[in-house]
Amino acid sequence: MVGYAFIAPILFFFAVFMIIPILWVVFGSFQQGGIITPSEYVGMDNWRSVFGDELVRTTVKNTGLFALLAIPGVIVAGLVLALALLRVQKGEAVFRAGIFFPVLAPPVIGALMFLFVLHPDFGAVTLAMRTVGLSSPSWLGDPTYALPTVAAFEIWRGAGFYALVFLAGLLALPKELYQAAALDGANTLRRFWHVTLPLLKPTAQFVLVMATIWNLQLFDSVFVLTDGGPVNRTVTVVMYVYRSLFAFGNVGFGYALSMVLLVVILAVSLVQFRLLRSRRQ
Amino acid sequence: MTARRLTFKKGRLASGTTAYVILIVASILMVGPLFYIVSTSIKKTTQLFAYPPDWIPRIPFWGNYSFLLGSESLFLRWTINTMIVAGVVTILKVIIDSMAGYAFAKIDFPGRRVLFILILAVVMVPTSAVIIPLFLLVRGMGLLDTYWALILPPLANPVGVFLMRNYIQSLPRDLENSARLDGCSEFSVYFRIILPLVKPGLVVLGILTFLAQYTAFLWPLLAVQDETLQVLTTGVAEMKASIFTIDWGIVSAASVLSMVPITIMFFMFQRYFSGGSIAGALKQ
Repeated sequence: MVGYAFIAPILFFFAVFMIIPILWVVFGSFQQGGIITPSEYVGMDNWRSVFGDELVRTTVKNTGLFALLAIPGVIVAGLVLALALLRVQKGEAVFRAGIFFPVLAPPVIGALMFLFVLHPDFGAVTLAMRTVGLSSPSWLGDPTYALPTVAAFEIWRGAGFYALVFLAGLLALPKELYQAAALDGANTLRRFWHVTLPLLKPTAQFVLVMATIWNLQLFDSVFVLTDGGPVNRTVTVVMYVYRSLFAFGNVGFGYALSMVLLVVILAVSLVQFRLLRSRRQ
Repeated sequence: MTARRLTFKKGRLASGTTAYVILIVASILMVGPLFYIVSTSIKKTTQLFAYPPDWIPRIPFWGNYSFLLGSESLFLRWTINTMIVAGVVTILKVIIDSMAGYAFAKIDFPGRRVLFILILAVVMVPTSAVIIPLFLLVRGMGLLDTYWALILPPLANPVGVFLMRNYIQSLPRDLENSARLDGCSEFSVYFRIILPLVKPGLVVLGILTFLAQYTAFLWPLLAVQDETLQVLTTGVAEMKASIFTIDWGIVSAASVLSMVPITIMFFMFQRYFSGGSIAGALKQ
């Protein structure tokens, strides 16, 4: 029975700040009001307005497009950096600190740094391009470039973290397999493809699920970089949830949209678990 | 690990030169924005728009920094708020999660499996999907615009319980059993035997928690409106968002200064930032 005493604190916080809010979102998505007026049951109204809303479609499209750019980007960058870190002998600690720096930066602070680098008047990129006689596009103001630029920012921010996770995975691999493969005369690329990559699958699975969960919740950096613009090209689902509460106070709508986010993230990560697991066997 | 590492390196994966080129380019890209913003922060705003650009200003201008560190600005207050919130959350979380981890790893009690699976199932729920009810709940408790609003909700995140359970489960049973035979209570087994043994695990959980709190933005943005209660992320982001004409010099200096505490901590705990401890921390 003493076990309960040990888990009582975490259960308390877990129940109050996790379970209650989750149930609240589920039930709230069928209600209206509740902030100023008492809440009332409205059936599927919120759901209908979520699925009929033009901007919801835009935010889902933006978030999905962003995820398709950022998730593979961050995984490939992380893996390449990890393989490179594994190869070097001198200065590994320096490189590791350099690559890890963006992970330490809060997303909003990192995003402010990007604003300076990309600023149309005094940004480093703008000035550098002007020096060599090129004109720089408005990276964050142009509807075509804004979303890929945000994705590039998130790759910058995340690559170092995943590099360290991949590095740990690589270091844990049995070295005998490499020696055997080398004796068989397998070249570097083939060894990587046939030996390293399959063995790295558990790490890759973990990285993929984490990257998906985090990137589908994109908010902080967009808030600073574009605030959703230009012409809603970078509004994300979480940003719309935030606005539904603070900009137009439509909580019922916000609950239903939160549910969409919750269900999509859970579904995608479960599918990823399943797919990677069955392929490993 | 070093021995394995060295032999590993002989089994060439890619040529060493390629690796250095990749790492040098990557490091420049990663740290480059910081250098640019440092150089911006020691320029006067008029110098900012000069062309050809002054990449490194010949006469540094310290006005932006002296403003932020002076009494006219709330910047130091925000720094203190961040340290208080991140510090308190970290300490409480290390205690709460290691207690629960110990119970789930070593004590038999009815419902242990069910409770553990329940917690496991919720780990993947994205926190941003529950921010509206969390906001209304905290408001209902009358805690908006207090430190409590910033400190209490993050304690619910159960990832640390897994981390601690895995660390504690890997300890041999002999030690605790002999302590129990000597008449130690469960609490003193936890406190005197388990905690000292899992110190590396506690440090990793502490670092991850502190970093998560230091970088947090969305929840603090909702939880506190009061200017004096802002943390670094919300305070500095508001500087950029709310002012009619942005004082870029001040914003750049604030961004640079916001990186100082966390960078100091990074170098203090650098050996724990190895891939091994982070992956071990996050994997089950």
